Amino acid sequence: MNKKHTHAIHITQDKCIGCVHCMSACPTKAIRVRDGKAKIIDERCIDCGECLRFCPHDAVHTHTTSFAALGDFEYKVAIPSTVIYGQFGTATLPNEILSALRMVGFDEVYDPSAICELNTAAVEEYLNEHPQPRPFITSTCPVVVRLIQRRYPALSAQILPIEPPREIAAKILRTILPRALNLPPEKIGIIHLTPCPAKMVSINHPATLNKSYLDGAISIRDIYPQILNALRKSQDDALMRHLFPETLFSGIGMGWSLSGGETRGHKNHRAVAVSGVRDTMRVLDQVEAGLLQDVDLLECTVCPDGCVGGPLQVEDRFLAKSRILELVDAAGDRAVVDHKDVSRLYHKNFLSFDHPVTPTETPPLDADPARAILKAQRRDKIYKKLPRKDCGVCGAPDCWTLADDIVRGQARLSDCPFVGSPKKKEKR
Amino acid sequence: MAGKAVFRHEFPVRGGDFAKAGAVACQIKDLLKELGIDPQSVRRAAIASYEAEMNVIMYALEGRMMLAVKPGEVRITVDDKGPGIPDIDLAMTEGYSTATHEMRELGFGAGMGLPNIKKNADRFRIDSRVGRGTRLEITIHTNGRKP
Repeated sequence: MNKKHTHAIHITQDKCIGCVHCMSACPTKAIRVRDGKAKIIDERCIDCGECLRFCPHDAVHTHTTSFAALGDFEYKVAIPSTVIYGQFGTATLPNEILSALRMVGFDEVYDPSAICELNTAAVEEYLNEHPQPRPFITSTCPVVVRLIQRRYPALSAQILPIEPPREIAAKILRTILPRALNLPPEKIGIIHLTPCPAKMVSINHPATLNKSYLDGAISIRDIYPQILNALRKSQDDALMRHLFPETLFSGIGMGWSLSGGETRGHKNHRAVAVSGVRDTMRVLDQVEAGLLQDVDLLECTVCPDGCVGGPLQVEDRFLAKSRILELVDAAGDRAVVDHKDVSRLYHKNFLSFDHPVTPTETPPLDADPARAILKAQRRDKIYKKLPRKDCGVCGAPDCWTLADDIVRGQARLSDCPFVGSPKKKEKR
Repeated sequence: MAGKAVFRHEFPVRGGDFAKAGAVACQIKDLLKELGIDPQSVRRAAIASYEAEMNVIMYALEGRMMLAVKPGEVRITVDDKGPGIPDIDLAMTEGYSTATHEMRELGFGAGMGLPNIKKNADRFRIDSRVGRGTRLEITIHTNGRKP
């Protein structure tokens, strides 16, 4: 785990051929091609992983924790995302997956569905106590939090200040395990198993906590072969699934990895679920324009269909979705969490943010308002000279962004292959 | 020199074009952010321009929205060719609406449009001629006067 990385997404220079796929896929226009290689602009990147999906050359890499790096911990605990239950086909039961993770080398593995239900109960209580503002936006997707910090700073106060399940689970374990095991806290490693690289960023640079309660996040893609292996072995050992007490899965929490799964448990409030990074931005634009005030809770996840569409999961997302829906059906509305316990934790602020989300404003065209205006005027003029083909050859994703880069002093008009060439006068 | 700095941009709005609802307000909002306007002023401008844009889309044949930004001030002028408003005082009453059933089905026409624009503006002028059209002038001081 490297604390220095502000992002979990990086471009491998050797593999990058400088094409334009990632650059045009990036929803925040955070990529430029310079000297034949894609470069990520740190301040604009929100770690959504779109570039990772679109790169045809496998040149976009993610920084997540490796299992080998956990060697220093005497006691290793895994808190998987509920996505894990959809990864191994319809014949594999959630209990078998949790057991397989123990065989892989975790000393303890906790079912995430119960913690998701706990979060639902806490959010419900918060909504009841806070009639304004509306809508509240859930903090589960770390990319949404980053997106709001950077592009929708005025909405920062509308992020509902209850920590997401992964942090709540880790905090509970961090509190009870050292006593229960009689081990110093630093010897206990609490690891999230994640379908997305952004969780790593939220662990290294938490937006609402002084320090994350998690020690790292392992990509489901990385640990998948080991789990599969353990599952195969356990087939020979029919007794294996009886070695561990049956976990009672929560029907309310089971579907959290699907878009709408988080809001499904909110029967007393009007909740809306949005998924996909572009649709999320479209809806946040509406919220910023004062719409959706009749909605209590807005669930946004930037991956398509929710976390189940995360770039670091393995199973085809439609198959994973179908499997999780089966499990949700089987569990029904079964509740496993005592609401009185949740209420107690909630009123002790045990589930709350350490501090509110602070906006990270994107730099304006100029710090001086008058100069910013002049630059905007110049940008309009430059844009008119550009071909509006959005070809990306200049190294910017589109002509408008090139004009913007030029007035910010980060590109030149001559970067455009169409301007200043003999073809200039041709009809475009 | 710096005192003369005014950024102007004109956006056409087509009446009945519900598919593009909010597109101009969104562009205005993005521009204001790039010009370094504080988030609360941007939000007020976004809300006011969204409501104004929706009024054109819902009632007028066509219109245009003109943005003028100078240090300390954002002005949005909305001009439309449309039915006009016979009784402006009535139209400014919260909850008063002439929206059709279809508009309400889409979630519009709660009768909050004009009052909401006024609430978010520091200066608001409305001028309307029946059978001709309506002109709104929305001014927002960007030094954070209205909370």
